[in-house]
Amino acid sequence: MKPAIERTLWFVAPFLVIGLAWEAIARFGPFPPKLFPGVEAVAAALGRLVASGVLFEHIGGTLVRLVVGFAIGAVVGLVVGVLMGRYRAAEDLCLPLVSIGAPIPGLAYAPLFILWFGLGDRSAVLLVAFATTFPVVTNVWTGVKTVRPVWIRAAEAMGLSDRQLFRKVILPAALPLSLTGLRLGLARAWRVLVAAEMLTAVPAGLGWLIFGAREFLNTDVMLAGIAVIGLIGLALEKLVFERIERFTVVRWGMVTA
Amino acid sequence: MRRVRGAAGIVLAALAWEALARSGVFPRALAPDLRAVGGALWQMALDGTLAMHIGWTLARILVGLAIAASIGIPLGLLMGRFRPVERFVAPIVNVLMPIPSLAWVPMLILWFGLGNTATIALVVYAASFQFVYNAWAGVRAVNPIWIRAAVAMGADERTLFRRVVLPGALPYVITGFRLAFARSWIAVVGGEMIAASQWGLGWVIFDAKEFLNADVMMAALLVIGLLGLAFERFAFQGIERRTVARWGMVRTAAA
Repeated sequence: MKPAIERTLWFVAPFLVIGLAWEAIARFGPFPPKLFPGVEAVAAALGRLVASGVLFEHIGGTLVRLVVGFAIGAVVGLVVGVLMGRYRAAEDLCLPLVSIGAPIPGLAYAPLFILWFGLGDRSAVLLVAFATTFPVVTNVWTGVKTVRPVWIRAAEAMGLSDRQLFRKVILPAALPLSLTGLRLGLARAWRVLVAAEMLTAVPAGLGWLIFGAREFLNTDVMLAGIAVIGLIGLALEKLVFERIERFTVVRWGMVTA
Repeated sequence: MRRVRGAAGIVLAALAWEALARSGVFPRALAPDLRAVGGALWQMALDGTLAMHIGWTLARILVGLAIAASIGIPLGLLMGRFRPVERFVAPIVNVLMPIPSLAWVPMLILWFGLGNTATIALVVYAASFQFVYNAWAGVRAVNPIWIRAAVAMGADERTLFRRVVLPGALPYVITGFRLAFARSWIAVVGGEMIAASQWGLGWVIFDAKEFLNADVMMAALLVIGLLGLAFERFAFQGIERRTVARWGMVRTAAA
């Protein structure tokens, strides 16, 4: 066998086996077909969602919320993280709050946010922003703190101003960890968003699609929705962040690919 | 000095909250002041409901983690040792991992009904991938020279596994535990909210919303944050210090 064919075969085989097992459970298993639709039904539901254009409306709604919420959270996180890394007072003030706040799942705030900001987009976006902030803060903070002191001293000895020092030394040195923070933040945002959409009853979104379909026992639509969510999550990871990393820190030789 | 400033940060945040609560930006019922939050916490602690909520949440997490570990770790180790297993399982893991576990909640509710089974199933889903992924990475990170040396000294497959591969992979497996706990902590709170049962810290937040008991909600949030912090700080760092750090596998920062 040619290696290319073999590789494809190895890639397809697991999904084939899983698909067959799923189909077998759907046909002969203990669940009624309404609760455990076959592969064909899920594919058909996906086809219907695509053909009617509804799917793109949901994807669009979800992505807009993700981008806006993530942007707010990332900016806040970067600013706070840099301040904490650079100024001892800011670090001492913020660290206890961050350590207590970080382990609280963003979703736990959902009911409070709904009470404060009402059902709908505002709550969902703010929740995403809130969840994004913590991993960004901790990683940017660590990144700025772990800049090698020798570099800073050398730069100061060469007469760099505070601003130059920041732009030329601290920023590039803190970048690998900051990117990790952004990446973790985006992953968090994505997880929170799907659940937040279920709770905040947004007009259109993938989480809402799944949750709404449950009311009518449309399990085929739910599974199609889950599949789309998985694909978008994979795409975010592979297409967005691995690429950003390759173009920045890997290229500058800060980390190896 | 650090302690003083740290305390100052918390006091400042508390004062800011108090000011916000009293300013009337939000109605009083929605933004309870500190005394109300403290009162709610105290009352929940006194009548024993707080202990019940914590107990149920922890029980769900522990059962879910135990199941996930007993599936995930062996699978990950097998993936690391045997190439065909890796080639078969890796694509599935890669596709399933980016799906947020909470997306499965509505489906799990339909399959298992509301209550414990659905919540535990959710924890298992959320935690398994962390175990698989880290055990797998751990085995691959075992220094090949150790394996060759052990084989040269006549270790059979079983001894090799027990004496070399397993300890070598352990730092990663412990990282897996840590990540799995973090994930299940999120999953259990979300799961309890949606797959409503009767007890649980997530459930109490969601239930309190129905009655506009924002003070109870804030109290529960605080407990969730403190418990999460306690687990991270004491349980996991303690385990790490006692095992892998002591065996010289990794260096801990504060050793």
